[in-house]
Amino acid sequence: MEEGGLGMGEIEAELPPNVTVTSASAIQEFIKNSPLQKIVNWGRKNSLWFMTHPMGCCGIEQICVGVAHYDTDRFGIIPRCSPRQADVMMISGYVSKKYLPALKRVWDQMLEPRWILMMGECAISGGPWWESYSTVTHLDEIFPVDIYIPGCPPRPEALLQGFIELQKKIVAEQDRTVIPNPADGGV
Amino acid sequence: MTHEATQITSPTKPSEILLHLGPQHPLQPGPFLLDLKIEGETIREAELKIGYIHKGMEKVFEDRTYLQILPLTDRICYLASNSNNDVYCRGVEELLGIEPTERAKYLRVLTNELCRLQSHLLGIGEYATDVGFLTMFIYMVREREGVVSLLEAITGSRLNHNYARFGGVANDLPPGYKEMALKTLGELKKQVKSHDEMLSSDSIYLRRTKGVGVLTAKEAGELGVAGPPLRAAGVEYDLRRMEPYLVYDDLDFKVITQTDGDVFSRVKVRLLEILESIYIIEQCLDQMPSGPYKQDVTPYITRPKPGEVYARIEDPRGEMGMYIISDGSDKPYRFRIRGPAFATAQALPPLLVGGYVADVAAIAASMDSCTSEVDR
Amino acid sequence: MGDEKIDKTIMIELSNTFKDAVSDVDVPSPNRAVARIDPGKVKEIMQFLLDNGFDHLSCVSGVDYPPDKMEVVYHVTSYSAPLVITLKASLPRDDPNIDSLCGIYWNANWYERETYELYGIKFNDCPYMKVLLLIEEMEGEWPLRKDYAGYPDLT
Ligand code: SF4
Repeated sequence: MEEGGLGMGEIEAELPPNVTVTSASAIQEFIKNSPLQKIVNWGRKNSLWFMTHPMGCCGIEQICVGVAHYDTDRFGIIPRCSPRQADVMMISGYVSKKYLPALKRVWDQMLEPRWILMMGECAISGGPWWESYSTVTHLDEIFPVDIYIPGCPPRPEALLQGFIELQKKIVAEQDRTVIPNPADGGV
Repeated sequence: MTHEATQITSPTKPSEILLHLGPQHPLQPGPFLLDLKIEGETIREAELKIGYIHKGMEKVFEDRTYLQILPLTDRICYLASNSNNDVYCRGVEELLGIEPTERAKYLRVLTNELCRLQSHLLGIGEYATDVGFLTMFIYMVREREGVVSLLEAITGSRLNHNYARFGGVANDLPPGYKEMALKTLGELKKQVKSHDEMLSSDSIYLRRTKGVGVLTAKEAGELGVAGPPLRAAGVEYDLRRMEPYLVYDDLDFKVITQTDGDVFSRVKVRLLEILESIYIIEQCLDQMPSGPYKQDVTPYITRPKPGEVYARIEDPRGEMGMYIISDGSDKPYRFRIRGPAFATAQALPPLLVGGYVADVAAIAASMDSCTSEVDR
Repeated sequence: MGDEKIDKTIMIELSNTFKDAVSDVDVPSPNRAVARIDPGKVKEIMQFLLDNGFDHLSCVSGVDYPPDKMEVVYHVTSYSAPLVITLKASLPRDDPNIDSLCGIYWNANWYERETYELYGIKFNDCPYMKVLLLIEEMEGEWPLRKDYAGYPDLT
């Protein structure tokens, strides 16, 4: 795969009859245009693992939503501590100039398909600290955001609603995740 | 324990390595970077790097009117929002020369203690996950939801309550509150007692926490720590007793102390404080006088006389102080927040040096600092 | 945590011991005391307070009074008494520097670093005068000074 897909022309001559070689991206293309993709999306929507990554006050509600009482496990949404095991990153609070590089790195560590949720005013527009010298406001220009959950802090029910909207988006194939193309050396 | 451990140096021996924990980490809510220099399993040097969620609060506060600041004080430390409201209001009240009404004082004590309950419950829960006791975390969050509903019934909000006002509070208790509260708290008391039993009888847990991360009274004093970590070392330093504010004078409560100063005692102090807070709340509900819950005339645009005030309170994490300088205008000239978590976080690196890498999570979580307030 | 009685008499003692370094002593309420100190003598004064049972440095903060004055405010208290002493040291605004207290109160370190990065007040002999909360590029902007141009940041 390192050489950007198999060089088809060279191998074709040595192949036994009735065997055709195709690249992984061709398989993906095929799946994308067939009803199979619906099944894939159904699977994805029902296992949205999110990264517990509390950053501000909203982080507390994020913790609460994952465990007893609100119990997002009902929807297949469970908290994970590592970005490498998670599908959804929630920006739950203030992002400062100091933290932004680290946040981008955490985002890069996540495997595709991945989604991003903006939780609370701070993440959406800077919230109460929008004028401050140390916060970053226009986060949606940096990350491909799918869902915005307003509130300061949003209630856990609102967070759940946000997840359900994300599921709807996934089923409708309207989400902004980038499905990687193996031919480009993606995963 | 060495007091010099404030800066990490690069490894000199081949057996030493640098370990970065963070800024994204599951230790505590809030990002920080903990740099450790380790040799084998032992920590040789430690440095805590903070400021990842620095919001420039003090600058923002200088640009807001006194009333506009009130909801923002919630966000200093979201787990202690009522305490922050209260200490801010007491500061401004002192500048204005007004007093809250008697009923308002009781209501503030009531919400402060409820806030302490939910903060300690979440603190213990977070800590329990870090020592690998996930079940306890689930229990604690379940218990916390009950307390949060009690707060929500009064203040209308699950977090960031914004309840105190200058000279009073925002609203009165809803009807039937006392019965509801007593029922929930009775249940909570039972549960906390059984959790306490579980935590002090589990032999694996005991071995993991007893004698780990010991902070003696003398060291704690030198490091400037207050709150539960100090009381766990046996010092009876509690502002509710020492400098009684509101109506703590009329209430009966014990200052919880332990003697060992290790991870186990710090958590034990919090568990026992939960029971003590429940006792305070019950007294509040009984003794609360009827009457107005706020002053008849609450100043809408507040212009205190020029002056300054330093108000402090016993926050769930220690001593919270606010230093407000007024220049006679409707905005404070200087607003300084002296957070308890800042002091606790500063004391963390010296506490880690000499210990094992495996204990970092337990020690860091048992100090229960709040990154939002450390960074402000 | 000494067993001496810790109360407001300390202020009289303080002004007697440091006759020309302590001025404007005021006791506004039972648990608060305020005094103005000479910035050159801050170490001796703090050592005196520490020896007299004031073993807890609560807070160090800076205050900016343009055009020509800056202040460092110390809040010192004790683990065994409720009295909080506020000490203020005035510094010139064009070259503010004062002795560091790190050798006396260990926890002065972070407070002084914070005051340094927000106000540009230098603490002589502080072992580690570097930014704490801000990003390194912001060192030298002193955001909490009253004439800071980067606030409000309307972008
Ligand atoms: S949106 Fe509000 S509640 Fe959420 S992190 Fe920001 S200030 Fe806190």
